[in-house]
Amino acid sequence: MSQQVKVPSVGESITEVTISNWLKKDGDVVKLDEVIAELESDKATFELPAPQAGVLKISKQKGETVPIGTVICEIQGDGKPAEVQPAAQESKPKPAAPAAGSALAKATGAVKEMKVPAVGESITEVTISTWLKKDGDLVKLDEVIAEVESDKATFELPAEATGILRIVAKEKTTLPIGGLICKIEVMEGAGEGSVASAASASTAASVGDANYAAGHPSPAAAKMLDEKGIPASQVSGTGPGGRITKEDAMKTQPAAPEPKTAAATTTAATTGAPAQGSKGERREKMTSLRKTIARRLVAVKNETAMLTTFNEVDMKPVMDLRSKYKESFKEKYGVGLGFMSFFTKAVCAALKEFPAVNASIDKDEVIYHDYCDISIAVSTPRGLVVPVIRNAETLTFAQIESEVVRLATRGRDGKLSIEEMTGGTFSITNGGVFGSMLSTPIINPPQSAILGMHNIVERPVVKNGEIVVRPIMYLALSYDHRIVDGRESVSFLVRVKEMLEDPGRLILGV
Amino acid sequence: MQYNVTVIGSGPGGYVAAIRCAQLGFKTSIIEKYDTLGGTCLNVGCIPSKALLDSSEHFINAKEHFKEHGIDIPDPKVNLSQMIRRKGEVVKANVDGIAFLMKKNKIDVYKGVGSFVDKNTIKITSGDGKETTITSEKVIIATGSKPTALPFAPFDKKRIISSTETLELKEIPKHLIVVGGGVIGMELGSVYARLGAKVSVVEFLDSLIPTMDGTLGKELMKVTKKLGMEFYLGHKVTSVENKGKEVLLKAEPKSGGQPIELKGDYCLVSVGRRPYTEGLGLDKVGIETVKGQIPVDDHLRTKVENIYAIGDVVRGAMLAHKAEEEGVMVAEQLAGQKPHINYLLIPGVVYTWPEVASVGYTEEQLKGAGRAYKTGSFPYKALGRARASMDLDGLVKILADKTTDEILGIHIIGARAADMIAAGVTAMEFRASAEDIARTSHAHPTYMEAVKEACLAATGNRAIHI
Repeated sequence: MSQQVKVPSVGESITEVTISNWLKKDGDVVKLDEVIAELESDKATFELPAPQAGVLKISKQKGETVPIGTVICEIQGDGKPAEVQPAAQESKPKPAAPAAGSALAKATGAVKEMKVPAVGESITEVTISTWLKKDGDLVKLDEVIAEVESDKATFELPAEATGILRIVAKEKTTLPIGGLICKIEVMEGAGEGSVASAASASTAASVGDANYAAGHPSPAAAKMLDEKGIPASQVSGTGPGGRITKEDAMKTQPAAPEPKTAAATTTAATTGAPAQGSKGERREKMTSLRKTIARRLVAVKNETAMLTTFNEVDMKPVMDLRSKYKESFKEKYGVGLGFMSFFTKAVCAALKEFPAVNASIDKDEVIYHDYCDISIAVSTPRGLVVPVIRNAETLTFAQIESEVVRLATRGRDGKLSIEEMTGGTFSITNGGVFGSMLSTPIINPPQSAILGMHNIVERPVVKNGEIVVRPIMYLALSYDHRIVDGRESVSFLVRVKEMLEDPGRLILGV
Repeated sequence: MQYNVTVIGSGPGGYVAAIRCAQLGFKTSIIEKYDTLGGTCLNVGCIPSKALLDSSEHFINAKEHFKEHGIDIPDPKVNLSQMIRRKGEVVKANVDGIAFLMKKNKIDVYKGVGSFVDKNTIKITSGDGKETTITSEKVIIATGSKPTALPFAPFDKKRIISSTETLELKEIPKHLIVVGGGVIGMELGSVYARLGAKVSVVEFLDSLIPTMDGTLGKELMKVTKKLGMEFYLGHKVTSVENKGKEVLLKAEPKSGGQPIELKGDYCLVSVGRRPYTEGLGLDKVGIETVKGQIPVDDHLRTKVENIYAIGDVVRGAMLAHKAEEEGVMVAEQLAGQKPHINYLLIPGVVYTWPEVASVGYTEEQLKGAGRAYKTGSFPYKALGRARASMDLDGLVKILADKTTDEILGIHIIGARAADMIAAGVTAMEFRASAEDIARTSHAHPTYMEAVKEACLAATGNRAIHI
């Protein structure tokens, strides 16, 4: 028997990959799970293992860029006759009694539990949008059995084993990452040529360990979750068998909507510009990720009364302070003194004075936060992420700087947890690192305001009646006018400016 | 006076609701029709019956078992009036405790019949006819239930009696006829059987304690027969007559056959209880009862948005602890919290000796639902602890899901079952599997080891001590 090897779905926003290298040559004998090729997407490089043993027949060459799902090679069976195949093809196993007396489809007794895969770093849950297979159906390995939707994208769910599908999560149910979607009662020898018994055997060995009680909240946890308005299905339990303990419930925060600042990420055009002078144009299907971003950005614009106020900061005092203490700060704390700590401290102090800027709207109520959880936009190779500095108001400059470094490093390594990226009360974004002079950032609901930092440019300014050259940064504060009044937002930004222009105020709280 | 919350009825549902409301900062009042607080449970139900059950159990131990334990005493005699007096003291201590708790929690207590004037106004008519009117933002109805009489034989409180009178008898009946082999009939029947009465139980259904797992009813019949109790199962009572010095009961087998006649000096009718809402003025607020019950939604709210009802007046088992949970739930809801009650996991207990206790699904329910399940049983007689105390009657039965091993029901008849069931309820609240309990260390020697062994049996038929 032979099996066609397709480019697997490697991530929701990845539509195509480039074959960067074939590690095996055409005609080579390959073993099961042996890496045969390296593929490259715009986000990562990954290895392609052989789904079965046999002789490799390459159909797409090194350097070719192919969409997900393309057949790039075929692995021909290792000479053993495919005795069951013809019969299997003509008799469609009946879902009701698939194993009954059928030599073709033999239940192995193993059950493969399929859980929601981690589909993206900021995605905490997915919704089963459509089951393409019914409960009790016979499904084949890698066959698409359901369509699953996250708040960012829709993707297809391939069967992780061949066997009888036992649906656990019904359509329209929302599951957390790791939540149990369905079980497959693994069967051997069923279906068409694509199923190697070796594959079922290997899946049988990796049966999941979550049990029937996974996600079951303890009585106290159930009450707490209900009060927070969090469905138990969104919490991953740490108790025995995945049970949700009271501690799990205490730690869980309602999922914050995806930070809108993520929209700043642009998906670069993947191919080169058309030749000069030509009138060529291309139409590309919008990825679901892009569509979701588009929809949500418009939603913020539509559903909030957002506007932006500006001010300018003379950065000289901060820069002076910084150059003066740079060395000793670094020596003492092991972390560089950057601008973020100044901005974060100034923001926290100003938030205390203008609580509405730190508040959020929940239906007919305004939630005021007594703490400042500051979301900071961090640019990473995988896109923009927005981790949160918790209780920034209690942190020292050094603690803020090391937290920024820690979060940025984790972001760059793709290690940020969902929890680290949810629940901020105010955001800071720095378009200045890309050279932006001035912009109007979009708020990150349910937050009510976002501070935009920009580049520092030497400008002529008038001080004491004289024109002097000063390092100036423009600041932008976008805010939701529904709960933040103009007076508050403008005063807030003025306070931030004052404290940055006279950092002594930060110490004295004046 | 003006209150945030007023509770009508001070039984275990009502007084607990009132305390929880007070704890949550509501200005709370409670209305009680009788002179003492505590409702049926404390005055004429759970507590006094347990007092008599314990006394009569001591008696039968002294009479039948001391000798074997090596204690020789002259023939013990029953001093019924002392037993009843002690029971009265137990009750008094308990109801005084409730009065203290009301004071401690600054809950205003109104004695009298509470009746709605409108949805926020309640008129309280005390025994001497004095009327007081209070207003309350929220009202919790917790008026409980009363014993149901046979339609053709109303309680005359002399020969045809309810549980209330049975707790106050002046003499040990020579022959007590009990109509209804449920919890109350079996408990009070066994009290007097131990004290020397002949006790005959007539039950319409084909098993005792018929709402519980069938195994328990069968076992209970076996052990109570040893006390000399007689049973007429599957019999429909056709008449009960007070003949002055005696009472005559006629019944016929449901399946046909010879009618029977029983003559006794008392007939305890314990065929159930009905929700009690008389005098409440429900018509003033537009609440209509359905089969006597006050209809409520999942949050125990009636059709009137500020009026809630809990305990025996609403759907569900008529149990003190169920009412308590509901009282807490309503109070916390009023404070904006979101508590839950898992009604499947309200345990049921019968205080016979041995005791009967059960939680979750019965085997009959699982069969009826077509659920794939497995069972594991362990008899008390194989238990070291039970041997030591000579409480060898009884067993533990565990029902678990066939594939997941999740415990679906725990059914115990045996010494101290009433206290043991709590561990089972806890395990089930956390959806434990039979193996989870089987792998949990149980102190030796204890009765609880029977639960562990039954779980071992359910897990893989691997009980150790049998």
